[in-house]
Amino acid sequence: MKKKLGGQLAVLTVSLILGLALAAQFKNVQNVGGSVSLQRAQELTSEIQKLNQDIAKQETIIAELERALREYENAAQNDGDIYETMLKELERARILAGLTELEGAGIIVTVNVIPVTGWDGESTIIRSVYHEDLLLLVNELNAAGAEAIAINNERIISTTEIRNAGDYININTNRHTAPFEIKAIGNPDTLEASLKLLGGVADMLGEQLEIKIRRADRIRLPKYNGYFQYRYATPVQ
Amino acid sequence: MWLPLLGILIGVILGMVLPVKVPVAYSSYMSIAVLAALDSVFGGVRSYLEDKFEADVFISGFFGNAFLAAGLAYIGDRLDVPIYLAAIFVFGSRLFQNFALIRRHILNMLRRKSAVISDDNEK
Repeated sequence: MKKKLGGQLAVLTVSLILGLALAAQFKNVQNVGGSVSLQRAQELTSEIQKLNQDIAKQETIIAELERALREYENAAQNDGDIYETMLKELERARILAGLTELEGAGIIVTVNVIPVTGWDGESTIIRSVYHEDLLLLVNELNAAGAEAIAINNERIISTTEIRNAGDYININTNRHTAPFEIKAIGNPDTLEASLKLLGGVADMLGEQLEIKIRRADRIRLPKYNGYFQYRYATPVQ
Repeated sequence: MWLPLLGILIGVILGMVLPVKVPVAYSSYMSIAVLAALDSVFGGVRSYLEDKFEADVFISGFFGNAFLAAGLAYIGDRLDVPIYLAAIFVFGSRLFQNFALIRRHILNMLRRKSAVISDDNEK
């Protein structure tokens, strides 16, 4: 009889625990929304983990920047002169990085395809504008001392790519097609002369493309709209 | 006989009322453990009906199976082997087997009872 009572007690306890577990599980499923597959849940979990890591990384970046900002502010309070020079330095750095709109004299080069009428009466072009053409022009302008260059209002900075991507040319990761308008700020005479050298870039490209070079007293260049991220590079002290 | 049902009922009510919670991350292991526990209870009821019930076997089976099932599911997840499928398969089929045996026992009992009653009536 005693054994039987013990057994009954065991059954009761165990089934009580089972009931508790059932209820807990039921509540869990209810909360999560039920029929989410295990795999999907795991996928989402790993995604969340990745995003959390990202957030943590960004937060450390923010903290670092805030610390730097505080340091600058402290310096500004300590000494107005340092603040002044630093502001100037900062402005210079922003100009160099292409983060400010610039204005000045220079030249505007337009590059376009030449439409021709074929023997069958169909309109066609001799050839399209390739990224090499733009690179040649930009290279030449830089060599001639251009201080800032923009193609189709994409500011050319140190990391700008000019690259064929299908029928388009990617500049600053944006897609562009002909006609291209290259604006360069610098000495207009030098810039124009550098392109118009006998056998130079304009000559070469002018055989198959329409190249127009125009001087301007006031050219306005847009600023670079992307953002900088250095994940691998660190400055050497 | 009705003890397990009563226990589960009380347990569920308690669980719904009390703030018992399992982290969602362990929800999948918990489900396997619950399945194993369910199987153990069914097995217990069956052995009780067969007069072969032993409390120590029952309790060790309950906890052992639950933890083994959850543990295997966990290890399987780590190794990317869906071991939990094996647990679901084994416990699921045993659950049905146990239930079938329980049904037979209960039906037999009912038959015997009605036979006794009809015997009484004949007398």
